[in-house]
Amino acid sequence: MMGRFSSAIGSKRVNIALFAVAVILLLVSAVGGTRAALSYYSDTYLARLSISDIGVTLLENGNKVAWRNYEGNDSWSTPKTEEADRLLQDLLPAGEQFQIGRAYPEQLQVSNTGQINQYVRVKLYKYWEDKDGNKTNVVSPDLIKLEMAKDSGWVVDEGDSTDERTVAYYSRVLESGSTTPALTSSISVDPAVTHMVTESREEGPDGTITIKYDYKGLRFCLEAEVDAIQEHNVSDAALSAWGKNLTVNNGELSLG
Amino acid sequence: MTVHESHTSTQPHEHARGSAFATVVLAASAILLVLSSVGVAQAYFTTYATAKGTIQLPLDERTEINEEFDDWTKHVTITNTALAEDAASMSVFVRVKAFSGSTYPLQFEGSGWQLNEGDGYYYYNAPLAPGKVTEKLDIKITGVPADAKPDASFNVAVIYETTPVIYKPDGTPYADWTDILDAGQTGGGEA
Repeated sequence: MMGRFSSAIGSKRVNIALFAVAVILLLVSAVGGTRAALSYYSDTYLARLSISDIGVTLLENGNKVAWRNYEGNDSWSTPKTEEADRLLQDLLPAGEQFQIGRAYPEQLQVSNTGQINQYVRVKLYKYWEDKDGNKTNVVSPDLIKLEMAKDSGWVVDEGDSTDERTVAYYSRVLESGSTTPALTSSISVDPAVTHMVTESREEGPDGTITIKYDYKGLRFCLEAEVDAIQEHNVSDAALSAWGKNLTVNNGELSLG
Repeated sequence: MTVHESHTSTQPHEHARGSAFATVVLAASAILLVLSSVGVAQAYFTTYATAKGTIQLPLDERTEINEEFDDWTKHVTITNTALAEDAASMSVFVRVKAFSGSTYPLQFEGSGWQLNEGDGYYYYNAPLAPGKVTEKLDIKITGVPADAKPDASFNVAVIYETTPVIYKPDGTPYADWTDILDAGQTGGGEA
């Protein structure tokens, strides 16, 4: 049996047949490749049309603080300022110190500054830095109180959120040129921070005892990350781009 | 002709070469097919924007008590010695209490100072900002004999405490006196 099979395999007719099959496969794959190439270039072409229209902007208390809008020719419009100098810059009136416990207005919104409809999500990070700008976990991020706005259309993803991070999705499609309601309403620092930092006591020559906070220079930090994704086929797009399962019913986005 | 001769004389090798060729062709086909799907997978359009900001907390404070004495009266002030231009400097609330023997009761007087009869402290009624000094609190020793000598000794002790100025959400300042920052004392034989 094996001998007959080996003989058949080795025969000229079979070799020609195999060669023909291989050529056909190659042609088919080449056609596929051509189709792929056409598809690729078509996608790229479409992408250029679409990307030229996609853009998103983060607003803080009505002011634009960060954006990334496609301008064509692989060029994006972004802020000139450093990332670290964009948020909280106008929170305090000039010359005024931060007041521990006071709730300062902090309204974050997202604007669709492109020309295609999109869905958006925001990741907010709050944490502490020491005087040298290094992140520190000695003080709990829970003492930074970032109040979320109520009935705003934003849905917090509790599964992805922690004391330090809040992830929220805007549940409605954000049409070109429109702006979401505020995701947050205010920011404050819990007065308990004055108890929680470590301190050392110093006794002066006159008997005065002075408490020195070892965390002089402690800073609270807020980071915002806005992601926007095309409205079309958003479930597949979100799974592909964000790794997140989203479902949309009648334009209303929900998690899972 | 040469090929034919080679084919007939080296059949096993020719078979192996044919299989290898087919394998290469198939592999090339598979790679092309995989590549053809890449373009489709890149067709989702996204963008993003990021921002960050930090604010320093005012957690640094230093105060000191100052006293002058004349006419059987202590003139007490408290100074917030933290640097006014430093964003880390803290405003504080101040309170003062003084003790003496029952023979020579004390009399307090000072603009901006108010007695809390519950604890006997005199509270300065405004936050003391960095670099600022309180108004004087005059503590007069009463009942001193008219013929008392200038070097007579009276034991009058003055203590003071500070606490951070903290705020309600609406911006109203308040004190939490369970959180004492500085606790100072002066006293002993004066005059």
